[in-house]
Amino acid sequence: MEAEFPALVSARLGDRVAAVEVFPGTLGRVRFRAEAALDVFRSMRDDFAFDHLSMVGGIDWVDHREVFYVLWSDARRAYVILSTDLPAENPHIESATPTWPGANWHERETWEMVDIHFDHHPDLRHLLMPDGYVFHPLLRSFKLHEPEELEVKTRNV
Amino acid sequence: MSEMWINMGPQHPMTHGLWNLRVHVDGEMVLDVDPEMGYLHRGIEKISEDRHYNEVVTLMDRCCYVAGLAWEHLYILSAEQALGIRPPERAEWIRVMSEEFQRLGSHLMWYAAFVQDIGLMAPFLYGMRDRDLVLDLFQSYTGARMTYEYMRVGGVRNDLPNGFTDQSRKVCDWLIDRFEEYDRLCLASAIFHKRCDGLGKMSRADCVAYGVTGPMLRSAGSKRDLRKDRPYSAYDRVEFDVATADGADVTARYLVRMEEMRQSVRIIRQALDWLDKNPGPVMAARVPRWLGAPYAPIGNEGYLLKRNYPKGLGLSAIEEPHGEAQAYIVNDGGEHPYRVKFRSPVFANISAAKKYLVGYRIADIPPIMGSVDVCVGECDR
Repeated sequence: MEAEFPALVSARLGDRVAAVEVFPGTLGRVRFRAEAALDVFRSMRDDFAFDHLSMVGGIDWVDHREVFYVLWSDARRAYVILSTDLPAENPHIESATPTWPGANWHERETWEMVDIHFDHHPDLRHLLMPDGYVFHPLLRSFKLHEPEELEVKTRNV
Repeated sequence: MSEMWINMGPQHPMTHGLWNLRVHVDGEMVLDVDPEMGYLHRGIEKISEDRHYNEVVTLMDRCCYVAGLAWEHLYILSAEQALGIRPPERAEWIRVMSEEFQRLGSHLMWYAAFVQDIGLMAPFLYGMRDRDLVLDLFQSYTGARMTYEYMRVGGVRNDLPNGFTDQSRKVCDWLIDRFEEYDRLCLASAIFHKRCDGLGKMSRADCVAYGVTGPMLRSAGSKRDLRKDRPYSAYDRVEFDVATADGADVTARYLVRMEEMRQSVRIIRQALDWLDKNPGPVMAARVPRWLGAPYAPIGNEGYLLKRNYPKGLGLSAIEEPHGEAQAYIVNDGGEHPYRVKFRSPVFANISAAKKYLVGYRIADIPPIMGSVDVCVGECDR
């Protein structure tokens, strides 16, 4: 099943997937096109039985951003990594929360840390940082060792 | 009229750490919850980008303060994949033994805190007393009781001291009898059942959809355990059973964790037997000097030595005491990791709080959250 996986993904998803790279310890690293995100998510869940979303993360490559998803399938007993590149200007991608409800907090964290906007996310607000925090700490432009000044607005409880 | 939002936390006996559970109540009934995290956010992922690979191990102990060795193991597995280094077999077995002892330590801490939440005071002292034995063992071979800084890329820092395996067996023998005692203290108590049975139900399908893992998922009938499903280190060479239960409630999670502790002892005994028979190196021979342990600057250039190492990505996943933990490391050929991303099982388990808290009463929240086993350090990172 592991050897056939890249061919199956290409056959099912066609040009929505750019490449399936080898990643030891997983079925592969599926590089998909960001515009087709929703199709890829649904296909991964329904056709390939990846019913568990482990994590969502973002990487700032300065000239572009990368967002990746790690999925697990109980039926296949294997991980797969989904990954796509987004432009550095106004990066946004369709939310995976409607497909896997567990993506909710992971996407909130990715949004506040790496400044990637998730369209149609039900509740995109700060999670680890206080409300009104204007920085995105995991961007490369956010330097350690430099003081930051900010005004924190607390939520009206 | 009696509807309102109340804050349970950030200072509340239920939270076991710094976080705030905002609860929307109607009288006694919980209508909605909204966990607020971030009180313990220290930016470990950001700091890691400014550290050498071995220096991140120090942060891992602070990441989860009740399961430091498990998190070190998680990070090291991922870093080794990203850097293309393989540890010697003895180091792998020491890591397995460490992780299982850490699981005992973490579950004993959970037991002590959880039973106190539901109003049984005596077991708290039993749990803390026995956890101390595990910490003593850690102290004997890592030198620390909480912040171990023991594992290194390519192996572990030092071998086990003389007489360690005998002492460990004594601790195992002692603990395995204590588990019976724990069960008698809890399962025979009417208070325990009144406060736990049928609470915090979360079906297996919900657990999978919301990314809930670990004892919570196994208490709903799943047999998912990464030590079995995707064996790492030496877990493919040990025998053990995956603890499961069917109740999907607080009692079921108690039963799963108790059985897991028994299975941990079983794994530790096999690891100790192997370690007795197979002396050998605990660090890989071909580790670059700048990665080596103990860490020292090399020559005048010190930390500024140019690396000549291939780039790589690393993904590791371990069955941490709380559930499925993952580390994703991007090695771009620099001296520091370019990006480190951690998946905390507690983070995912708390994010599903609506599913297992809504519909119960306020007084049910402490036992339910106790059965989730919250460690805020790893949740907020």
